[in-house]
Amino acid sequence: MTHWLSLIVAAPAVAALLLIAVPASARLLVRWVSLAGALVSLFGSIEVARQYDTVAGGLQLVESYPVVPSLGIHLTLAVDGWGVSLLLLTGIIIVAGVMATWTLKDREKEFYIFLLVLVAGVFGVFVSQDLFIFFLFYEIAVLPMYLLIGIWGSSQAVTEAGPFRYVWKVLDIGGKQYAAMKLTLMLLVGSAFILAAMFGLYVAAGSSSFDLAHLGSVKYDRTLQLWAFPFLWLGFGSLAGVFPFHTWSPDGHASAPTAVSMLHAGVLMKLGAFGIMRVGMVLLPEGALTWAPLVGGVAVVNIVYGALSAMSQKDLKYIIAYSSVSHMGIVLLGAATLTPNGWNGAVYQMFAHGIMTGLFFALVGLVYERAHTRLIGKMGGFARVMPGVAVFFTLAGLSSLGLPGTAGFVAELLVFLGAYQSAHSWWAIPAILGAFITAVYVLRAVRAIFWGKGPSREFSELSDARGTEWAALWILGLSLIAFGVWPDLILVFIDRTTPDYLLLVLAGGAP
Amino acid sequence: MTLGWADFAPLAIDLALVAAILIVLIGDLAGGPRAGRGIGYLCGILLLGLFAGSFFLDLSGPSMGGTYVGDAWSTFFKRLFLAAGALAIFGSADHVARHTPTRQSEYHLLILFSVLGMSLLPGARDLLLLVVAFELMGLPLFVLAAWAKTDDPRGVGRHAPEAALKLYLVGAASTAITLFGLSLIVGLSGTTNIDAWIRTAPSPLWFAGGFLVLAGMGFKIGAVPFHFWVPDTYQGSSTPFVAFLSVAPKLAGFAALIAIIHRGLGAGLLHRPTLVTLAVASILLGNLLAVAQTDVKRLLAFSGIGHIGFMLLAFLPGTTESIQMLLFYGGAYVVTNIGAFLIVEQVEDAAGGSSIDDFAGLVYRSPSLATAMLLFLLSLAGIPFVVGFWAKLYVFLAAWEAGLQWIVVLGAIVSVVGLFYYLQIARAMFMRKPAAEAPPLGSSLGMTFAISLCLAAVVVLGAFPAPLLGEAEAAAKAFVAKPTGAR
Repeated sequence: MTHWLSLIVAAPAVAALLLIAVPASARLLVRWVSLAGALVSLFGSIEVARQYDTVAGGLQLVESYPVVPSLGIHLTLAVDGWGVSLLLLTGIIIVAGVMATWTLKDREKEFYIFLLVLVAGVFGVFVSQDLFIFFLFYEIAVLPMYLLIGIWGSSQAVTEAGPFRYVWKVLDIGGKQYAAMKLTLMLLVGSAFILAAMFGLYVAAGSSSFDLAHLGSVKYDRTLQLWAFPFLWLGFGSLAGVFPFHTWSPDGHASAPTAVSMLHAGVLMKLGAFGIMRVGMVLLPEGALTWAPLVGGVAVVNIVYGALSAMSQKDLKYIIAYSSVSHMGIVLLGAATLTPNGWNGAVYQMFAHGIMTGLFFALVGLVYERAHTRLIGKMGGFARVMPGVAVFFTLAGLSSLGLPGTAGFVAELLVFLGAYQSAHSWWAIPAILGAFITAVYVLRAVRAIFWGKGPSREFSELSDARGTEWAALWILGLSLIAFGVWPDLILVFIDRTTPDYLLLVLAGGAP
Repeated sequence: MTLGWADFAPLAIDLALVAAILIVLIGDLAGGPRAGRGIGYLCGILLLGLFAGSFFLDLSGPSMGGTYVGDAWSTFFKRLFLAAGALAIFGSADHVARHTPTRQSEYHLLILFSVLGMSLLPGARDLLLLVVAFELMGLPLFVLAAWAKTDDPRGVGRHAPEAALKLYLVGAASTAITLFGLSLIVGLSGTTNIDAWIRTAPSPLWFAGGFLVLAGMGFKIGAVPFHFWVPDTYQGSSTPFVAFLSVAPKLAGFAALIAIIHRGLGAGLLHRPTLVTLAVASILLGNLLAVAQTDVKRLLAFSGIGHIGFMLLAFLPGTTESIQMLLFYGGAYVVTNIGAFLIVEQVEDAAGGSSIDDFAGLVYRSPSLATAMLLFLLSLAGIPFVVGFWAKLYVFLAAWEAGLQWIVVLGAIVSVVGLFYYLQIARAMFMRKPAAEAPPLGSSLGMTFAISLCLAAVVVLGAFPAPLLGEAEAAAKAFVAKPTGAR
């Protein structure tokens, strides 16, 4: 039994524990301990990717420890090809996230403790093979968010206009505490549905084990499949940003501090999509096949609606946040196609979008920290004072609209292909339209911020990225290009696992 | 009936408790007010000692001709009550010493008497002993509820007489209702032996008896619609006492309910519609009304009503598994709720009030208290890795397996409402600045000890629930299995 997976999960948690002992005044030490925890996880993930045998496939590096034996709950960790790629994504994002928030000034110690606890939860979800433990880690990944956004977030001035301005004011809409509460409550309502579906599966499978393999080996009756799948879809979907349960995402991501936005949009939303595919579709094939038209239809709405919403935003962070909603639609569309290309594309898009949106939020944080505004109307000509930031922002934008040579292209191509090959070929049309709208709003934002006239006098003294911020940008930027030019780096893992699971769905769903 | 030595062994803890009460009485006579808060600490240590002792003594076996039976069931409850009493006494010692320095031992003695009543209750197999034990538990509580009263009409504790009177009137009325119901049952069955009831054929009067017992006990545990005394009493009484009142008597109520309804009458199914109504109403009303509260004590009171609803959910099926989950919930609730109320006590003591505003910026005044409170709140809300999560999960699982899926979905969603109002307190503690003049908060020795114990239990059981779950399983198996002669 190897311990690489428990090492990956435990490293951030141990670092968080160590941080409790570090005095808050030792500010550099706090950062180095956090970075060390993140780096151990990243190198652990790389090592796991190296050890994963793509010929054998299946679940590897299995570890198992009993937790509540009487209920059949075991801490079973193992990794499949999807898990390998998502572990890598999380590792990259957390390292870049810690580096990008190196200049944080307020109560850093507590910030990093919560951040590391959260990321331990994320790692845990991707490797746990016990539905119950999966759910536990899922909750840990969601909950620290409340304090992270509520304390360290940034508030947007409330718009004093429109027929609902009084309500806006009373609810403090746009405020960070409002955003934090909204996000937490919406995601927990989702958890309630997940929990109910989980119980349903557990009881129907004989109340003996939460093991995913055991739950997957049972053929559930049609009634259970038909109600449990939408529960899981909506439950996990609220985290994946499924329309119309995505509304926490723009507020939450816009209000969150940089590293948290990176992690949340970059990785956490993927937990939702991963949950839908790994738990919802694989365990409930009949439900998945029956509901696939709805899942795909809503995903198409996500793509187009998210893109249109992003187009009409004036606040830079809201643009990126809505673009996440749109891009998560591509992941869900890929999942709904139930074709090999679609599923490969969905997982690849999780990876590519994670890196891309991580880079976006790191850059937005940089700009905001220097310019103290997020309104693009006030910006302009920033490329003259921060050329490095401008280059990376353009790179992320190009990946976002799916330019060949970037990771975004590979993912979108696969999903569009899958959509066309699926039973609902027309899905490809609005999806491609969405990519087109993306090009419009991304290029418009790039032009408005970095090019054109300016910078105006108040922004003429802004500085470019510095120190560890460069490191974060380079890691993410290089990954975008590397995985765009050489997709097989990751695709080899994804493609090894997709057919196994897809076969389960297609065979299990057959009458 | 002759009493032999064997009759005393199962009652060792209770007899030791009587001895402890005598020791404290004599100590008070000899030392009087000079003993200071030492008398409180002595009581706490005695209770903790008995708690520890319960793990080393063999308390099983019948006593007094089967009137009392010691088994895993009664021992489990004894431990819960002893722990609750010890935590509450350590938490109140400082409060009592400062507010009523000349009457300290009376306060602690009353708690001890109440714990003695509770301790006898779960093992009672005869209705007379059960009722006497229940009243021995309840009477000291009336006095304690009024303890905070002072002569200053505007001062702290001005609501204490109201709190006590409400508790007393409701308590007396509910006892009357319960006794009336029990008299019907005894009249029909002709015996006060709980285990013999099962041989009586059911009839409408039989059903009415059970129904009245449910209503009377509903007052005691504070389930909707018998809940209205709860928030007023909690708000008016002194907070460390509320820490005790909010958990121990409720669990004693459940012990009595399980004994009468499930073991005695075997009538859980018969009363299922009533119980479903009680549980759903408690869960909904408790949690929804808690949202509107600005006073933390009232908020915890309403949320407590919600928790009673969740416990009723586990009470309802009456199977071994479901009672096991109820017992686990009880254990988790004891440590979590006492811990939360003790922290409220410290904030209230410093600020003179217990509104959410008084919690503003607690993290700046005492990071450890704020963190502890956060963990207690998360446990109450049922968040993973603190014990409350397992409690809620097990209860939901029990209800699910009993075919109450819709209530589980409802309960899970209502739990999110719960998280909302708990987070309002967390938000005040962590995201707001303290009032300008608010000084750092320090804790007394006893308080630190009690809160640390609660916190340790919440965190350790949150990570490893198996030991408590195992104890609960043994207890449920010892009691809920049908007595001989079951139909």
